[in-house]
Amino acid sequence: MTIRSDEAAAMLADVDSVVAKVKQSRIYRSAALIITLWGVVNLAREALIAVAPAWFGPRWFLIDAIGVASTLALLRWVVEPGARLPVRTLAAFCLFYAFGWVWSNLLGQFEPRESMAFWPTLFLFGYAVAGLWFGWAFTAIGLGLTALILIGYVWSGAAFPLWLAAVSGLGFILCGLWMRRA
Amino acid sequence: MDGPDDVIHQPIRLRVMAALTACDPSDEGLDFTQLKKLTGATDGNLGAHLDHLVRAGYVEVTKAFVARRPRTTVKASTTGRAAFARHVAFLKSIIAGA
Repeated sequence: MTIRSDEAAAMLADVDSVVAKVKQSRIYRSAALIITLWGVVNLAREALIAVAPAWFGPRWFLIDAIGVASTLALLRWVVEPGARLPVRTLAAFCLFYAFGWVWSNLLGQFEPRESMAFWPTLFLFGYAVAGLWFGWAFTAIGLGLTALILIGYVWSGAAFPLWLAAVSGLGFILCGLWMRRA
Repeated sequence: MDGPDDVIHQPIRLRVMAALTACDPSDEGLDFTQLKKLTGATDGNLGAHLDHLVRAGYVEVTKAFVARRPRTTVKASTTGRAAFARHVAFLKSIIAGA
């Protein structure tokens, strides 16, 4: 059997292309798990705030802390069993929360409605940027859900909390399921 | 340097082996549907090529029922991984020698 160098190059390019697809598919599957988890966390947070606004309103970060811990647990024991604590992911969460806290509490002077729109769009901005490295589905989710939140912010009136619960809860869950198949 | 691997040389089987060896050996491998999507092969075609790879000892096929649905999982064997690495090295040697 004789193989010319251009044929060999084409075969190697084919191999590289398949390997890249497999790697992206694995990233999507792992991310889909985490996005679905955050859909559940978001839904729980909004539901608890609706049920007990006086207690959970100012303490929403406790539910987010459970979300962060669950994400780290998923990464450590499900996505990559045996891996070390994903310190970079934890640092990324800390940076996002610190940035958000500085703007929403110190510099921004946000009203509750602005604050409600700001936090999910801050994290969705992270998704949109991550998509430039990890695949277009992240960018699509980041931009798509941000657009839906902004539409609700402008037009949903008093139903904005409900709108937000649907978009950041059910929207995330649906996006996670979609990403698994992307 | 060895010659090409006759089993892996076929384009669909080359893609199958590329996909399976991209997975970590400790992973469960890829399922039939994922492989079909990655290789662009039809059910029958992929099945025939997998049979060929199984006979060569390059892949292991596991059939199970998950949520009452049949699921076929394919994983590269140690022999398959070594054969694929040799074949890729052979292809690279052709380019290097051109």
